[in-house]
Amino acid sequence: MSSGGPTPAGAPQVKSLNCPSCGATLTLRSFSHAVTIVCDSCHSILDAQDPRLKILQTFQAATDEDPPLIPLGTRGSIRGTAYEAVGFQRRTIHVDGVPYSWHEYILFNPFQGFRYLTEYNGHWNDVSILRSLPICSPGASTLNYLGETYRLFQTATAGTSFVLGEFPWQVRVGETVEVCDYVSPPRVISSEKTGTEVTWSMGEYVAGRDIWKAFKLQGDPPAPIGVYENQPSPLSENVKLVWSLVAAFVILLVAMLLFIYSTARDEQVFEQSYEFNTNIKREASFVTDPFELKGHTSDVELTTRARVDNNWIYLNYTLINQDNGHAYDFGREVSYYHGYDEDGSWSEGGTQDTVTVPSVPPGNYYLRVEPESDYYRGAIYYTITLKRDVPQLSFFGLGALALLFPAGLVTWRSLNFEHLRWAESDYGGSPDDGSFLSTIENAVDSVKSMSGDDDE
Amino acid sequence: MIRTFFLIYGVAILAGVSLAEYRGWSLNRVDEVLNVPKSVRDNPGSYRSVYGYYHHYTGGK
Repeated sequence: MSSGGPTPAGAPQVKSLNCPSCGATLTLRSFSHAVTIVCDSCHSILDAQDPRLKILQTFQAATDEDPPLIPLGTRGSIRGTAYEAVGFQRRTIHVDGVPYSWHEYILFNPFQGFRYLTEYNGHWNDVSILRSLPICSPGASTLNYLGETYRLFQTATAGTSFVLGEFPWQVRVGETVEVCDYVSPPRVISSEKTGTEVTWSMGEYVAGRDIWKAFKLQGDPPAPIGVYENQPSPLSENVKLVWSLVAAFVILLVAMLLFIYSTARDEQVFEQSYEFNTNIKREASFVTDPFELKGHTSDVELTTRARVDNNWIYLNYTLINQDNGHAYDFGREVSYYHGYDEDGSWSEGGTQDTVTVPSVPPGNYYLRVEPESDYYRGAIYYTITLKRDVPQLSFFGLGALALLFPAGLVTWRSLNFEHLRWAESDYGGSPDDGSFLSTIENAVDSVKSMSGDDDE
Repeated sequence: MIRTFFLIYGVAILAGVSLAEYRGWSLNRVDEVLNVPKSVRDNPGSYRSVYGYYHHYTGGK
């Protein structure tokens, strides 16, 4: 759909008639193509094929009961072809006693014939009659048209509740049709069954702003409310793209992990065993021999292994650069408790602790160590080991989470959009169309049903 | 649009992880102290650790 397209050659041709009921002037825009014409003054439905305009039906309605958003006679360009709005009707279905109405606009081009626009709650569809029949089996919930699968969305009995302008069929207020909608966003295939006659049409979702642009209408189109049956999800196409990018980045992250683990220095620079006698009260702090930290600014990993058994030892560590006095101060505790009670055996803690000191520049260092524990618990033996430039797996984990988060968000929003769509369907549920999104949704449903089984 | 955003975002994540690994960042909390006197080496008891009065876990169920 585009604006500013070609208009029919010459000035608009119309034919003026008079309503045989009220005498008002009628404008016939589609000439012999019109089967019925509605007088907008007295709401008489007239036989446009009859030279005397035989009155077929009269219905009660206020003139401004339901003014068309596209005034009749307005011309616009759809897919490069000029059309004129010649007719308007409102159709209504009732669900649980609640009426739901939508509007249909009949468009006419002398060379292309009729075309239709539908509008419901600000959602628009460009509709044309199908030239060939879709493939569907009786009772099936899907149909196939030109290789594309459409899923049954709803069936309803729709009644015509208001008409205006010209129609290429014998329109009557109060007439009903059985309507079935099959969706494959952004398209919808609809069947309208009257008696034994079935008419198939295809609609394609159009943004209201494009309709306004095409018909050069004043103001803004009504804002869409909710999610419409064939409204394309703004995110569904992005889901596969985002997950493809996530997969590529995760592969790069793993490659980077392997590279860093294979090239990191991971060098042991110090290891010494000590004894802390808790039976002697004296100054316990001491310093280690100096050791050199080589390479660029990197981390230092300190591991404490202590032979504690239902006991604890706390070590105040200070890693001191002996050249400039810059120090890193931290404390670590090693405790291990175990026992047996009415619940069976239990244990807490462990005999080893590891801490990473971040971003330590190269230089000559020593450790000040100050052990603490309960008094009179005997000797506690412990070993201190220092390693330089040790890869940290936690950052790769955080990186992977950071990559997955927006992908999960996009997927969740897309799934939510589909849930809102199918919540309006008579045949709600997870669409299993083989798409990437439906695969994810079915997996989520499977997990939910499994957890539901567990609950039972 | 979203492709460009995600490409930039992904590259930023990889660059961040690379930098964190190269510079040796850590999630552990460590206090930095400046100008520790050289006398600490000869008299370790003269230094007072930030964590000297830490409340110790006494363990047990």
